[in-house]
Amino acid sequence: MNPTPKRFPPTFASHRHPAPIRRPGASARKLPWGLLLVLALLLGCRPGEERTADGRVVIDYWEKWQGFEKDAMAAVVDKYNASQDKVFVRYVSQSQIDRKLLLATAGGNPPDVAGFWSHTVVSYAEKGALLPLDRLMKRDGLLREDYIPAIMDGCCYRGFVWGLPSTPATVALHYNKALFREAGLDPERPPQTVAELEEYARRLTKRDADGKITQLGFSPSDPGWWSMMWVYWFGADLVDKDARRLTAGEGDGLTAYEWLDRYADEYGRPALRRFEAGAGQFASADNTFISGRLAMQLQGVWMSSFIDQYNPSLEWGVAPFPALVEGGMGTCIVESDMLVIPKGARHVEEAWDFIKFVQMQENMELLCMGQRKFSPLREVSPSFASSHPNPYIGLFRELAESPEARGVPRMTLWDQYRAELGIAFEEIWVRDTPPAKAMDLLMKRVKPRFDRANAAWDRIAEMRLRDWSQQ
Amino acid sequence: MAPTSPLANRLLLYGVLGIVVALFAFPFFWMLSTALKSLAEATATPPTMLPAEFLWGNFRLATEKIPFWKQTVNTVVLCLLNVVGTTGSCALVAYGFSRIDWPGRNFFFWVTLSTMMIPGAVLLVPLYSLFRTLGWIGTSLPLWIPAFFASAYNIFLLRQFFLTIPKDVTEAAEIDGCSEFHIFYRIILPLSKPALIVVALFSFLYVWNDFMGPLIYLTDERQFTLALGLQAFQSRLGGTEINLLMAAATLVILPVLGLFLLAQRYFIEGISMSGIKG
Amino acid sequence: MTARERKKLMMGLLFTSPWMVGLLSFTVFPAIYSLYYSFCDYSVLNPPVFIGLANYQELLFDSVFWKSTWNTLYFAAIFLPLSTGAGIVLAVLLNAATRWKGALRAMIFVPSLVPLVALGILWRWILNGEYGILNWGMQLVGLPMVNWMGEPETAKLGLVIGSLWGIGNSVVIYLAGLQEIPPSLYEAARVDGASNLQQFRHVTLPMLSPVIYFNVLMGLIGVMQVFALPYVMTDGAGGPLRSTTFYTMYLFDHAFSYLNMGYACAMAWVLFAIIASLSAVAHRLTQDRVIYGAN
Repeated sequence: MNPTPKRFPPTFASHRHPAPIRRPGASARKLPWGLLLVLALLLGCRPGEERTADGRVVIDYWEKWQGFEKDAMAAVVDKYNASQDKVFVRYVSQSQIDRKLLLATAGGNPPDVAGFWSHTVVSYAEKGALLPLDRLMKRDGLLREDYIPAIMDGCCYRGFVWGLPSTPATVALHYNKALFREAGLDPERPPQTVAELEEYARRLTKRDADGKITQLGFSPSDPGWWSMMWVYWFGADLVDKDARRLTAGEGDGLTAYEWLDRYADEYGRPALRRFEAGAGQFASADNTFISGRLAMQLQGVWMSSFIDQYNPSLEWGVAPFPALVEGGMGTCIVESDMLVIPKGARHVEEAWDFIKFVQMQENMELLCMGQRKFSPLREVSPSFASSHPNPYIGLFRELAESPEARGVPRMTLWDQYRAELGIAFEEIWVRDTPPAKAMDLLMKRVKPRFDRANAAWDRIAEMRLRDWSQQ
Repeated sequence: MAPTSPLANRLLLYGVLGIVVALFAFPFFWMLSTALKSLAEATATPPTMLPAEFLWGNFRLATEKIPFWKQTVNTVVLCLLNVVGTTGSCALVAYGFSRIDWPGRNFFFWVTLSTMMIPGAVLLVPLYSLFRTLGWIGTSLPLWIPAFFASAYNIFLLRQFFLTIPKDVTEAAEIDGCSEFHIFYRIILPLSKPALIVVALFSFLYVWNDFMGPLIYLTDERQFTLALGLQAFQSRLGGTEINLLMAAATLVILPVLGLFLLAQRYFIEGISMSGIKG
Repeated sequence: MTARERKKLMMGLLFTSPWMVGLLSFTVFPAIYSLYYSFCDYSVLNPPVFIGLANYQELLFDSVFWKSTWNTLYFAAIFLPLSTGAGIVLAVLLNAATRWKGALRAMIFVPSLVPLVALGILWRWILNGEYGILNWGMQLVGLPMVNWMGEPETAKLGLVIGSLWGIGNSVVIYLAGLQEIPPSLYEAARVDGASNLQQFRHVTLPMLSPVIYFNVLMGLIGVMQVFALPYVMTDGAGGPLRSTTFYTMYLFDHAFSYLNMGYACAMAWVLFAIIASLSAVAHRLTQDRVIYGAN
């Protein structure tokens, strides 16, 4: 479409007289002002204080989930609403919740509770879009120690807790046992080292006469959701201990990207691209792993429910991502969905009351069972694992508790660094840019801004930390 | 050019035009065809031109996947408010700039024209900031209140039109002592119906199609307009259920096409008249 | 000032008052604030802090900013000539048609009314790398499959193709311009023995030049601010590899994803400068060639 804004073109200089001259007043009618008023009211503005018919305060809770994940939380919300008569939680599904929440918060009209991710909480906390929960936690006796440490880490930034977990997730290697058997591999012995992963992948890959890949052993970019943390599996870090230096392109980090480059070289980039172009949507029977076209896929704890839904006959297993060396332990990425209170929320106490309710062991287990995840709480009821539909739920929880469990770095400007890491990954994986060069470009793009952001933080750190501790 | 017979020329002309029109029409056909297919058929290779079975139910399914009717109501209401606001205020202001002779008129009109040069991006942030101060973010107020304060484009357009109405039409009324408002409302407006319809149509379309405004100001899916709801639907689906996505897109386009069929003359005239006397 | 003059002034101000209020509150003051914010570190959530030229300095070293500027100019450089050429040719063809003119014109015009979101969704489907009907058609005639929106080299072309579908708007304007050309000019040319092509070059183009100039200028201003279509066709990401990150999209990201509102304002003013200078250049280049008719 013509990209010109769709407005009336500016030069309407009529030399004709398109209207027949008629007797004045013939068609002048009263404007429907009443109707207009009704329309305006219909659209309305959001009233500041809403109550239910029986006088409860209505609080808005925005969540990102769809389908069974949504239903699981809806059950908890219903339970909460039934458990007391002061607050009514209105559960609203939102797509693109991160952007929406930021806009609503910046606009001063946020919901009271929102469902968020541990990987977005850092930048939102930094921008001052969230309310730190430490004061409320202390007052009501909730402890950081109640949670699996790696998961609680994901809720913290600069020493404050910015949200409490709803459902956590860890990531592991899912593999197709039938394809293993077919390739002469032991279906009960998943790859233990990265070298073994390569070897297995090679044996699990099939091509047709044209060289088109019909079955692929493993792909770092399928689904590619953790590509920005690629260096983790090679023992490197994205940022140094003080979060002041970007380290993705150094030492083991560079090794990780060189591995990636070699991997793409081996299979051929055009062939990989072709394979990816044919990859179906994640949540469908066309998913490469679910349909048996990809033998090994890095996936989260949620995968079992999608397998059950789209291809229950799939024979699959789960293993930790392989380690670098024999006998070692691979890094495990841990993430968590979480509940936050946006800055400027109108009903902080009520929102907190609801969040607290979700954190109770019984309710948390109801939610996590419904979403087929594990509980982020240290305490678990004995029957939880045994009645869980995911046969590997124990492994996923162990991964979260392992010392190798890691989440996204706690650093300033993570959202921009993350975007740039994604680009660097694509540069190497798709464009065959030499890894050293890609990382060099990455540093050129991010470092100056990162350094300035740190300097800016140093200037205001004291004030901010004081602010936060008083909120 | 080689000398050719008139008949061959004609044939060539209509042949080329026929191909062009087919190319322009094909995407519509393809949208509708995909909308009526099952998902398996929509993604089958080789593709089928017509659905094996016309699944009209896809339209109903699509409207159930998003709060479609709620969003339709939102959009229509927003459009109506904008149409009334824009047409009313711009006519009023254009009258002041064309048929009343007052000192400073030309200066202010010149200022009006020059504001059209400012790209929208410049005003994006401060307007957001302004509406935030007013507490309007997350409501649809920023999307229709400004319409009641006129806009440069439409003022210009209507002013040019009002200027073409001969002076003697209003002279008698002036001598009779009728008020300016009376003249505006009873004489000028009725005479300017075509121009007002054009302004109304284009402001309706602008709001129906607007994407960035709702994207910035609306945060709650229940308040979304269709354009924004459609985009949210797409981003939620990723690539799946393309048939339902096409069905939803068809439903969003249909009212615009209907409007065009009803008021084709005004569309074409309205657009034709721009640019000619640039 | 006589009583009558005073009354006229009062009435003039009264009638234009909605606009005066609107002009001040929705244009003039925001523009001033925008300029001020562009010298500030401003996140909306905290009050603006004056930082001088720092935002503009940072722009100089922001490679994504340069990339988005390049993308936008590149898109404009392909789309504008194509849409102008195609628009004129289509208008000439339509103008030559004697039968079904209204229907043909309507068919070409209608796509330009399609909401950009729907247009983006539709073309994303047509251009789909695997199931797209365009690829299927290309395969039929022996052309290779192209993953249009999936490859950085072709993503912008995909957007151009989708955008070209909506040129009906300018076709109608050109057509109206053609109808303004006095038939006597063509008759005179024919008497001089000019061929169709010569008539097009020596009569049509010069007489149409003001309309072309106007259309190109408007197209330029619009194309420099292209947003909705790439946003919809790339889910707001501007991918692959930032090949469709256009100027306004990057600006939008800074404003509403990173809350770097000051930076976004600086970008907006730079965009203003770019558009103004491109318009000035266009004016310079075409000054002697645009022929304003006798009317």
